[in-house]
Amino acid sequence: MRTGPDHERWADSIGAYLLEALPDDEREGFEAHLADCPTCRRDTDELRVAADALPMSVEPVAPPAALQGRVMTVVRAEAELLAASGPGADRPEPAADPGRDVEEAAPGRTSAARGRRAGGRGRLSGGRFLGGVLERPAFALACALVLLVLGGAGGALLRGGGGDEAPGPRPPALRTTAAQIDAARAPNASVRLEQRDGSARLVVRDMPAPPAGRLYQVWLKRPGQSPEPMPVLWAPRRDGSAEVYVPGRLDGVDAVLVTDEPRGGAQIPSKAPVITAVPA
Amino acid sequence: MADDLRTLADEDLMQLVRRGQAAAFEVIYERHSQAAFSLAYRMAGSRGVAEDVVQEAFLNIWRSGARYERARGSVRTWLLGIVHHRAIDALRRSFVHEKRRASDEGIAETLETGERTDVEAARSEEAATVRKALLGLPPEQVQVIELAYFGGFTHTEIAEMLETPIGTVKGRMRLGLEKMRHALGGGRVSQG
Repeated sequence: MRTGPDHERWADSIGAYLLEALPDDEREGFEAHLADCPTCRRDTDELRVAADALPMSVEPVAPPAALQGRVMTVVRAEAELLAASGPGADRPEPAADPGRDVEEAAPGRTSAARGRRAGGRGRLSGGRFLGGVLERPAFALACALVLLVLGGAGGALLRGGGGDEAPGPRPPALRTTAAQIDAARAPNASVRLEQRDGSARLVVRDMPAPPAGRLYQVWLKRPGQSPEPMPVLWAPRRDGSAEVYVPGRLDGVDAVLVTDEPRGGAQIPSKAPVITAVPA
Repeated sequence: MADDLRTLADEDLMQLVRRGQAAAFEVIYERHSQAAFSLAYRMAGSRGVAEDVVQEAFLNIWRSGARYERARGSVRTWLLGIVHHRAIDALRRSFVHEKRRASDEGIAETLETGERTDVEAARSEEAATVRKALLGLPPEQVQVIELAYFGGFTHTEIAEMLETPIGTVKGRMRLGLEKMRHALGGGRVSQG
């Protein structure tokens, strides 16, 4: 079978590649070689059987039941939003992790496609969805339209949980705290932060519409860090009400903030928050 | 509806996930979250990090379900590959390396071996086969495979750690995988 250029140099890297033990730059070099070397492609495919089996050697450990609730809360909210946006809507994608997307999950399976990998590894938590939203103005606009036009029935992104399909475990305790409001910008508004196990939402009343061309955006503020943008762009219903789902976990979060931002959202708050809610 | 969905194969469920069906995704979650969490916990040694890894991985899968391709292998393999990536990201980015070895939460969280379904029993047998294949390797090969796959270390880091040439480390990795493949019969281990 034909071998590619530099075959001798790369042939020993197959094991390290399948075990994800190659540094990023070396992995890219190997993948480039893989694209041109049928022998290495064959060997990689054969040895993948062993690498793919490794997760099965692990002792089984049960995940916490609340994890399912947290995951499904986000999934249901996004599913409702997609449904409300119609079949042509952009599907949200993870975007803040250009070096490691799902398509690239199996070493060597997509050698051609993987050549475009940007390198580097992404953040673990929070804000990943926002990148997708911000890169997809149609989807961001759909968020706003769903809320503005359909009101309560369409406030999909803003509802944590709900729906009648295969609900996850229902955590029992509800903790509620009142949020601070910027009275100059929202003189009549009242907002409370509701936390139930791992999920949280802002319950908003008498909130004015955001300024023209802008939407409200949610941020999570952690000690010593800049506010982290959340994938929630929203506007209240005509009566000033909204239930705003807060994604992510609030462990270690000082405050949930809301600012008004351009319709595409922002990575850094452009104004002081109009809502500041301190988790219980 | 959820009961009907539970009769579907993973690959068929992924077609529904692609269309945004949350209920189909939940069945995928229920089938594979234990394997995902077990892998993440084995790698991170911390429940908190494992939870973050699994949550990120499943949301990534939900949002990118369209990228699953049947030809690439089973949903379970694909999904666990994503979890592995996420866990390595977490390990290489952070402090977890230093902490994960000594699991502070270990034994009590291991699943009871009591009520097992047929599927779980089959998986348990397969797990035993894989463990036997792995532990049947020469110790120096097991060591580099575990450090790389479960520890998230690069071959360079492993070479430094073991004071062994990089070429030797890479050679042990490849040899180890080749022997494992033979021990597993040379074919794919079912993960579906």
